[in-house]
Amino acid sequence: MTGTEDIRIAVVVGLACAGALFFILGTVGLLRLPDFFSRIHAATKCDTVGAGLLLAALAVLNGAQPATAKIVVLAGLVLLSSPTTGHALARAAHRTGLVPYHAEKE
Amino acid sequence: MRRPIAIALVLLSAIPLVVAVAGLPAHGDPSAPVHTHVSAHYIERGAEEAGATNLVTGVLLNYRGLDAAGEVTVIFTALIAVLAILLGTGTTPESTASSRGASDRRGADRESTVAPVSPIVSFVVRLLAPFIALYAAYVILHGHVTPGGGFQGGAILAGLFIALAMVLGTRAMQPVARTALAPWLQGAAVLSFVVVGTVGAFLTGFFLGFPAEPPLHLVRELLIIALEVGIAIGGAAVLATIFLHMEAS
Repeated sequence: MTGTEDIRIAVVVGLACAGALFFILGTVGLLRLPDFFSRIHAATKCDTVGAGLLLAALAVLNGAQPATAKIVVLAGLVLLSSPTTGHALARAAHRTGLVPYHAEKE
Repeated sequence: MRRPIAIALVLLSAIPLVVAVAGLPAHGDPSAPVHTHVSAHYIERGAEEAGATNLVTGVLLNYRGLDAAGEVTVIFTALIAVLAILLGTGTTPESTASSRGASDRRGADRESTVAPVSPIVSFVVRLLAPFIALYAAYVILHGHVTPGGGFQGGAILAGLFIALAMVLGTRAMQPVARTALAPWLQGAAVLSFVVVGTVGAFLTGFFLGFPAEPPLHLVRELLIIALEVGIAIGGAAVLATIFLHMEAS
């Protein structure tokens, strides 16, 4: 009885930590990467994978309840909307002639 | 000559404001008037008195209904001001409305220079549109129970309209935006306050009064929902109209 409960909590902690890690990496990337495209790439990871994993953790934590369905729908929305936003931003930047960063080779 | 007058006017309006702000009680002061008079009463009796489980809605539409009526009037006036500026500069198709062909050609020129809409964005916006619409309706109609209401739902509705306009092109929105109905939609918030206020005047004797006695307390709920829907439609129409006119210029 307590065994399955412990496993469930362990899964929740694992998912939440992984989500937080993606958020930290995405934030560091947003601050440290050299140009618009790579920053967008890092920032989109935050919302997609980070928020996705955190919502998955919340869903597991919540168990089989009506609110869990809302969380799952929310995760689906994030998985759909966040990459689309990243794509639209990168496409607009590319179309308006922003040149991606290249490390100078000499 | 204009400059000194402008500076004098700014000082004339700024100094009383600064003095008033200096006289305000400190932030978070528990003995500040705002915490000692009506708040406790709102929290204790607001839900049953105002007819909305969500206290914010109760305060916004019932206790301070006149204030909200002023707010929607300000929003509507802002729309008039923005349109006056956009149309006054003579850059929108409306200003050349006498020659419809000219505005159509202008639209065609624009669309040929703008990059085609990304199929991914188009697909996702179309896929999510019904869900966003459903969410907007939920926020509007459930606003007297949970956080939300007409202003928030109207903003979601306007966001949906703008997203669809960007994907489908503003011309696809013309059937909605250019009908005889459009001015009524833009004024919906103000009109709903006028109508609900008048109904309240007949029922209770006060403009924007809400009946609280048992036989009529269901009417009160309906009146609040009517206000929410009016605010939502009016707010969404104002935001969407400003977007369409900015797009056109």
